[in-house]
Amino acid sequence: MLELRLVQGSLLKKVLEAIKELVNDANFDCSSTGFSLQAMDSSHVALVALLLRSEGFEHYRCDRNISMGINLNNMAKMLKCAGNDDIITIKADDGSDTVTFMFESPTQDKIADFEMKLMDIDSEHLGIPEAEYHAIVKMPSAEFARICKDLASIGDTVVISVTKEGVKFSTKGDIGTANIVLRQNTTVDKPEEATVIEMNEPVSLTFALRYMNSFTKATPLSSSVTISLSSDLPVVVEYKIAEMGYIRFYLAPKIEEDEDETKP
Amino acid sequence: MGIKGLTHLLADHAPKSMKELKFESFFGRKIAIDASMSIYQFLIVIGRSGTEMLTNEAGEVTSHLQGMFTRTIRLLEAGIKPVYVFDGQPPDLKKQELAKRYAKRADASEDLVQARETGSKEDIEKFSKRTVKVTKQHNEDCKKLLGLMGVPVIQAPSEAEAQCAALCKSGKVYAVASEDMDSLTFGAPRFLRHLMDPSSRKVPIMEFEITKILEELNLSMDQFIDLCILSGCDYCDSIRGIGGLTALKLIRQHGSIESILENINRERYQIPEDWPYQEARRLFKEPLVLSDEGQTDLKWNAPDEEGLISFLVNENGFSSDRVMKAVEKIKAAKNKSSQGRLESFFKPVTNTPAPIKRKEATDTIPKGVGAKKAKNGGKKRK
Repeated sequence: MLELRLVQGSLLKKVLEAIKELVNDANFDCSSTGFSLQAMDSSHVALVALLLRSEGFEHYRCDRNISMGINLNNMAKMLKCAGNDDIITIKADDGSDTVTFMFESPTQDKIADFEMKLMDIDSEHLGIPEAEYHAIVKMPSAEFARICKDLASIGDTVVISVTKEGVKFSTKGDIGTANIVLRQNTTVDKPEEATVIEMNEPVSLTFALRYMNSFTKATPLSSSVTISLSSDLPVVVEYKIAEMGYIRFYLAPKIEEDEDETKP
Repeated sequence: MGIKGLTHLLADHAPKSMKELKFESFFGRKIAIDASMSIYQFLIVIGRSGTEMLTNEAGEVTSHLQGMFTRTIRLLEAGIKPVYVFDGQPPDLKKQELAKRYAKRADASEDLVQARETGSKEDIEKFSKRTVKVTKQHNEDCKKLLGLMGVPVIQAPSEAEAQCAALCKSGKVYAVASEDMDSLTFGAPRFLRHLMDPSSRKVPIMEFEITKILEELNLSMDQFIDLCILSGCDYCDSIRGIGGLTALKLIRQHGSIESILENINRERYQIPEDWPYQEARRLFKEPLVLSDEGQTDLKWNAPDEEGLISFLVNENGFSSDRVMKAVEKIKAAKNKSSQGRLESFFKPVTNTPAPIKRKEATDTIPKGVGAKKAKNGGKKRK
């Protein structure tokens, strides 16, 4: 028996909007500690990891661990039917092949039940080791989204380099080049508008902008974003979900052609 | 060609060894492709109407070039790195099989002549397809084309499938792509079907993993080879009355061909007089392949633009516009292939923390289900 009641229903709507472009089908794993998801895009270049801790729900009951295979587009369709102020409850019976989303209006005068069919998805879980990153950049999420969008109009890839001067986003394309540098800036009124750069070692990596732009669909979830970079690891783009958990995107970097002869 | 009925046998008895995958999921992978098989398919399918084939000004067939060019570009665009492996000398044992095929072709040619006289269009097409043969010239043309495209080519000393399997075993490529199931018998760890199918057919790629096949059939590799020989392979006849299913039963019961021969009812099953199953087995286990590091060096180079234009446009009558566009595609794809895959950084966790799935639970752990039902029942009564 599974019953999760989320007062801030709009949050779940935003989560779905953030990941459905990257991943079509995924397993939602529910345990007594929380509601999570890990899935890769079809070309196995990017990965999304979502966690909503049980404490963030008004009511959280999960008798035994279950994993629900869901087509994210279909789930998004159903969640679109919920109002932004609605309370969303996710319900599933053990051994059932459906999940029910219940939407309650804040005044309790309207209750809607949407039942969705589950599917069997065999997906690989990747083990993601804890790592020390060479550089961690925290910046306003809207700013990051803007940069990715702007650069994508010039080129296909972005080089993100962190030095003691700041963080530089650059691209080049047929029509020319673009460079955007952000410096550390903590003297702002609101902490979420700050740009904080922690650097142990300078680092410079190249990524496909197409994926970065798909990650920025999570911008409505959080006013700031954290980008963690290491020269030998995928980048992590993390959006914190207030008091509940996070949504993290991992993206494998582009590699130089010569190094490329190592693995089949 | 290949092993008779193996696909069906696996689908029935080792369903978990087969996976349907999307074309895109092979992004960034190096894949060895059995070239001769692909060329044969191209000659049959591409640019054919009745007996007319796609030709250049001199009247030479160019279907194979057309096919090789467009399909290879499709692979490159998906970020796949193909290596084409060409057949060398067939092993002696295969000559019998080849002679049969030759005879069939000769029959088909006669039928074709007849069909032309009677003028039935379908028959003409049917028989003319059967007369298709991959010639040395076709192979040479394709090698030249691939060289110009910057795609590596390997000339196998003998069977191409065996060479592909060897490349895959040594970890030089991720998987082997062919339509010929005997790649598995040669021990290719990962085998793909339908990789070269046209995108318009929208057939998902079928991936077979040999370790899972052996696990599910509960056989050793040697027993699997024996199973394939019994089911019917290219190298020797099979025993009349024994198909894949019986073969599987017999192997499970007796363990090897030798022991089956000792125990089998010889009146019911006629064993062919001259039955070189031991040699066939040896061919599968120790095929003639290149193993030397230097000889199988794989490099993907930039396309030779001028070379492609002079070969395809000037010599073989391709439209220069299309070739130019294609060259651009190859160049763009080259850039794309530099994207890394997540698996090269994070390793899959075999024992997923993800709990038992609903459906599997009902299939595999009947006890658990019983207990669960009891629980549910209890709840309802309240």
